[in-house]
Amino acid sequence: MKAWPVVQAATLLLAFLAASAAPDPRESILPFSISMAQEDWEKEFQAVCSRTDDAMILTVQELRILVQRCDELKTSIDRLEGSRRKVLLKRLQMCRDLYAFTLDTKERD
Amino acid sequence: MARFFVVVALIVAVAVTAEAQTGVKKRRPLPYEYGRVILNNYSEKAGFAPVVFEHWLHRSKFTCRLCHVDIAFAMKAGGTSVSASDNMSGYYCGTCHNGKTSIGGEKVFASCSKKYSSDDMTRCNRCHSLGKNVKPQYDFAAFTQRFPKERFGNGVDWEKAENDGLIKPLDFLEGVSVSRKPLAVQKDFALDAKLESMPAIIFSHRKHTVWNGCELCHPEIFTGVKKGATKYSMVEIFDGKYCGVCHRTVAFPLIDCQRCHTRPVEWHKPA
Repeated sequence: MKAWPVVQAATLLLAFLAASAAPDPRESILPFSISMAQEDWEKEFQAVCSRTDDAMILTVQELRILVQRCDELKTSIDRLEGSRRKVLLKRLQMCRDLYAFTLDTKERD
Repeated sequence: MARFFVVVALIVAVAVTAEAQTGVKKRRPLPYEYGRVILNNYSEKAGFAPVVFEHWLHRSKFTCRLCHVDIAFAMKAGGTSVSASDNMSGYYCGTCHNGKTSIGGEKVFASCSKKYSSDDMTRCNRCHSLGKNVKPQYDFAAFTQRFPKERFGNGVDWEKAENDGLIKPLDFLEGVSVSRKPLAVQKDFALDAKLESMPAIIFSHRKHTVWNGCELCHPEIFTGVKKGATKYSMVEIFDGKYCGVCHRTVAFPLIDCQRCHTRPVEWHKPA
């Protein structure tokens, strides 16, 4: 019984360390899960479209993953309505088009 | 040298002829008119005068990318289909024109609102002003008085104005723009003109990306990355394609040939 608070504290500490070790979505190229909560897809949008200025120095594999992430994001943004949907779809399309265009160029080289 | 001037005159003649073929002779816009866009997707249907958008004022405060990528305005007039509802929701013009946002220490006036009285019409007419005698808040001549001059377009060398610190266009809006890493700028390169005696074009990626980023031009305007992949003709450019998307409407106009055709022609003595 006396050990129980210690066990609780250890569990909390382990959970905290696991959460801290989670990759920063801005840095990772790997795709997120398809089913995203609203906050998740907003973070994903920021992460995906923040790489447009890097497009020319990314590898073919990284570009392929970014294009895939854009396609997955589209399903989340399509569920929105009105002006927000219109603006975000256009912005996402520009990101995707740039990555696809750069990917196509690199694959031809 | 004489041949060079003949070639330039021929190109200008082609441009004028291309314009004339539409059957409408257009006068060259005055400096304060250059870059003006008329927006009328819904205005007249709603009983308002079409919107007059002045590029010169907005480009002095914001980069092209901020409006045409982050805020998602289309590159062609009417292409965005901005509605009052969009503005009221805080998108497009309403991103800044909401009565709350401050730019350069000044609060930006609110755009459309659901309910408005006759007192509000003064505010509405600031944008919905085509055909109306509306005195703008900013006078072009006074605003650009200190700016370095150029021959055509707005008559303002916007690039030099920024280099001299006279304007500081914003490239990031909190809550709107995506945080990006610094851009790895592509090198400048030369494009040979089709006419042998015409100086080659030196294209500066650095000058363009500082205002546009990558996604504004690629792939919507320029589909080829490799030099020589796409053949550009001056007829197409004067018709509003490729370079003409911007250098016929907002950036320095195409009749200022020497701004692009800068590499000296190497004269080879005939054998």
